[in-house]
Amino acid sequence: MIGVFVCQCGTNIAATVSTDRVVQAAKSMLGVVHAESIQYTCSDPGQRAIIDAIQQKGLTRVVMAGCSPRMHEITFRRAIGRAGMNPFMLEMVNIREQCSWIHSGIDETTEKAIDLVRKGVARVRRQKPLQPGSSPVARRALVIGAGVAGIQAALDIADAGIPVTLVEKSPTIGGNMARLDKTFPTLDCSSCILTPRMVEVKQHENIKLMVNSEVEKVRGYIGNFEIDIRKKASCVIEEKCTGCLICQEKCPSKAPDDFNACAGESKAISIPFPQAVPLVASLRKEYCRLFISGKCSVCQKVCPADAIDYGQEDTVVTEKFGAVVVATGFGLYDWKQSYPTYGMGMYPDVINALKYERLLSASGPTGGHIERPSDGKEPRDIVFISCIGSRDESVGRPQCCSIGCMYMAKQAILTKEHIPDSQSYIFYIDVRAAGKGYDEFARRAQTDFGAIYIRGRVGKIYPRGGKLVVMGTDTLAGDQVEIEADLVVLATGLTPAEGAGGLARRLNISTDGQGFMAEGHPKLKPVETNTGGVFLAGACQGPKDIPASVAQAGAAAAKVIGLLSREEIETSPMVAEVNQLKCTGCFKCRDVCPYGAIENQDAMGGQVAHVIASLCQGCGLCNVACPPGVISLKGYTDNQLIAEVVEVLR
Amino acid sequence: MPKTEVKIIGFLCNWCSYAGADMAGTARMKQPASLRAVRLPCTGRVNPLLVLKAFREGADGVLVSGCHPGDCHYNEGNYYARRRLEVLERMLPALGIDPARFRYTWVSASEGAKWADVVNEFTQQVKQVI
Amino acid sequence: MTAYSYFPGCSLTSSAAEYDVSFRLVANAFGIGLDELTDWNCCGASPAPHHWGGELGILLPARNLHIAGAGHPSVVAPCAGCYNRLKYAQFELERNPELRERTGAALGEAVRYQTEVLNVIQLLNREIAPGDLSERVQRRLSGLSLGTYYGCVLVRPPEVVRYDDPNNPVKMEPLLNATGAATPHFPFKTECCGSYMGLAKKEMVLQASKRIIEVALECGIDALVTVCPLCHQNLELRQGQINAAYGTDYHLPVLYFTQVIGLALGHLPAELGIDQHATTDFGRWMLDAG
Repeated sequence: MIGVFVCQCGTNIAATVSTDRVVQAAKSMLGVVHAESIQYTCSDPGQRAIIDAIQQKGLTRVVMAGCSPRMHEITFRRAIGRAGMNPFMLEMVNIREQCSWIHSGIDETTEKAIDLVRKGVARVRRQKPLQPGSSPVARRALVIGAGVAGIQAALDIADAGIPVTLVEKSPTIGGNMARLDKTFPTLDCSSCILTPRMVEVKQHENIKLMVNSEVEKVRGYIGNFEIDIRKKASCVIEEKCTGCLICQEKCPSKAPDDFNACAGESKAISIPFPQAVPLVASLRKEYCRLFISGKCSVCQKVCPADAIDYGQEDTVVTEKFGAVVVATGFGLYDWKQSYPTYGMGMYPDVINALKYERLLSASGPTGGHIERPSDGKEPRDIVFISCIGSRDESVGRPQCCSIGCMYMAKQAILTKEHIPDSQSYIFYIDVRAAGKGYDEFARRAQTDFGAIYIRGRVGKIYPRGGKLVVMGTDTLAGDQVEIEADLVVLATGLTPAEGAGGLARRLNISTDGQGFMAEGHPKLKPVETNTGGVFLAGACQGPKDIPASVAQAGAAAAKVIGLLSREEIETSPMVAEVNQLKCTGCFKCRDVCPYGAIENQDAMGGQVAHVIASLCQGCGLCNVACPPGVISLKGYTDNQLIAEVVEVLR
Repeated sequence: MPKTEVKIIGFLCNWCSYAGADMAGTARMKQPASLRAVRLPCTGRVNPLLVLKAFREGADGVLVSGCHPGDCHYNEGNYYARRRLEVLERMLPALGIDPARFRYTWVSASEGAKWADVVNEFTQQVKQVI
Repeated sequence: MTAYSYFPGCSLTSSAAEYDVSFRLVANAFGIGLDELTDWNCCGASPAPHHWGGELGILLPARNLHIAGAGHPSVVAPCAGCYNRLKYAQFELERNPELRERTGAALGEAVRYQTEVLNVIQLLNREIAPGDLSERVQRRLSGLSLGTYYGCVLVRPPEVVRYDDPNNPVKMEPLLNATGAATPHFPFKTECCGSYMGLAKKEMVLQASKRIIEVALECGIDALVTVCPLCHQNLELRQGQINAAYGTDYHLPVLYFTQVIGLALGHLPAELGIDQHATTDFGRWMLDAG
């Protein structure tokens, strides 16, 4: 008793598929007792029509021809469930994404749709009712990355009473936001907003903070992840360090100041910035005199808290988590090789905007006085160039960085406030200021702070008499422009954070063409991933600004709270099962199973295979490996797949 | 004389290639109407015998596509698939099947354009040898 | 001895005769044979691309390619303009069978267009290892800062010439460094010299070339090095005109790539034709050294 419902999806399907012809063809297929075409099956009246048909005609199996199962399979499973059917007696046939949208001739498209429906009917005829299993949920969340997104997610989850482990690879939390001087479009002081949140993290009873730590290995699945976290040796005993900074003062080994985007200089043992959380020193062995030449132990001698331990080793902790939030943030595009005409880093006064931000910041290396790197002089003419490594096909990076236009306007405003007789020039392609209050802000940079906006790209930068000549085009005036600048600031594009790709692989989540982590669905699952229980927050998923990162973090936290407030979660019933009567006990299935979900069992007078349903993830590797073919993946049985192949080629 | 209409069976893993094919559709990337996709959890679920069954039932071509090696949703399913399908490909001539009618490939969920290219190219290739 | 077909073009037989002389000297020193094409014709530069719907700019170099096809596997064209036209003809003939047919009809036989086309940097990089050159240097050019000036048509359009990075070409540098000279970052290495606008609008050329010289001096460069006779003419020969027009006092030597290598090998400036240059203000570094 099969019912076939063919969705017109307005004209999305009906424009290139004759749904009437599909319905006619379906009526003659074996087992079909009802077929109809509906304008929008996913709408409330559409779902009601399906339920009515099920109840009136006594349908036992349903074929839904419409959009991709990745879009609405769950919707329709619920609908037929409401009609009293087993939700798994449904087959979705994709005649939209993989049919009506990619072909144009109505005849060939309709013919393909009919083939696909016949395939779906054959498959659902061999479908058996399935019952989802359940597995207990580990009530602890892991948040990876402690920038503003990770902090927000951790606090939201912890406030709901759920324990959180917050892992951060650098010595302090705060991420990129902690390096900003002000934020657009309100010119709020960045650290005034962020540092109280950082302190909250430190003090929260439900948050376990692990800095200098990285996720090393991930096992398990939604509700039951088992994750190894490596805490790297920092040669400082965290519990003892009081953050007095004496070690940093006395340390004789210089080291790059990563926090200040290398605008200043730091020491081998240091605390990145005064508001760091935790306020604990870390030692970087690669710059330390002791580890390089074997002679020095100044920090150990001067430390009043006896917190220095040169022999400290990495530790690995393994914990169980029910859900994971990835919030690894972004890195900056390295422009030097791709833009050779900008001097390849040979002009010290061509800097990226993050370094400039540190020069603007009162807590930065210059105490908030803008000093250009080459000679420490205060610049007067400052040129900003947008879209470096973004919106530029010639370097293989077509996407918008989504924040450049706004932070250039912000930096131009701050520049004017710092140096009233300065002049900022901004080369732009378009001013993209779509957020709330953004366009007004970008306009103020021009009207109230005198920034000169020039629409065009810069072709070359070259030195002249201690200044830099910026050669570009003004595409509105149709003219070439040359500006003698004291300082050039590049709005470089955003990349995924270093190491994000490896983490994505460990977590088994996909990445997009630029290496950003891929959301489950571009519209409907913006914080989910394709791996159940793993969620995304902030710029790891794509370039975005602070409000968007915070909003996404809150959404991810809500998903985690929802998941972890259950004691058990439903697991997919599409798992393997063994016909133990015919099992020969060769255990090839056990050998290929990636999850250890197959065990030996004493039955049938010997050792045979047995599937631990709660561990099985339903990949079907065992199904193919079994020599007598007696282990079978429910929902994707050999019979079903063969029937699909036979019917579609009929 | 190349055949104008061909039927190709595609075995697509749910997590990468099926999603990639959906993405090509969402972006309205035109493709020949040759492919009939069978959705599977993983290319590791593709029994080589199933590929041969498709040929026996009259498929002009068979395309298997999954996640890139190293990116399998089930960690290692596509490694098994690669080994099995590589052997299968080499066996095809002995079975009297032109290997040009078979292809296995890797297309991720974000590679809609690549998917459309694969379908276009493989359809052309199959038409040449059928 | 490896031998190449040699297409000198008009410049190397007239205004850039010293380029020809120095190239032959360097080639000889490293056992590179050069067989000049017999009965070669205009390379097809400047006015030709604007006649016959642009096709003359292809047909002329196509004939030269065809002649080269009967000789060695590779043909070298030291002038950047000649090199560019040969590459263009090859590019068009490769992708356009109909043009191939018409060219063949004009030539009276199927056009031979697949001969490898080399510029002088490419040829010398292939035949001379920097280490070998360094060992044979008689006059080490240490302390000398050379500005590599590639100009435009040697590297552009990139899809046609497919040689070096069009924004930041670097292929001259290894051999120049092997002579002991430094090649500091020079941002104007592909900036337009004004090209043949010298005929129609001289001020434009003077302005463009002046800026190149100005930036070179700003970068601490002692001499510019080029492979293009037209660039050489604008940057070198016109320095007097630039000085007259702008009240400057520039005396920046501009040398051909082959002249620099010749100097390093111990040849006298006069042997390399450097004495024929307008700007012979070589200063401390060239005449008194070893």
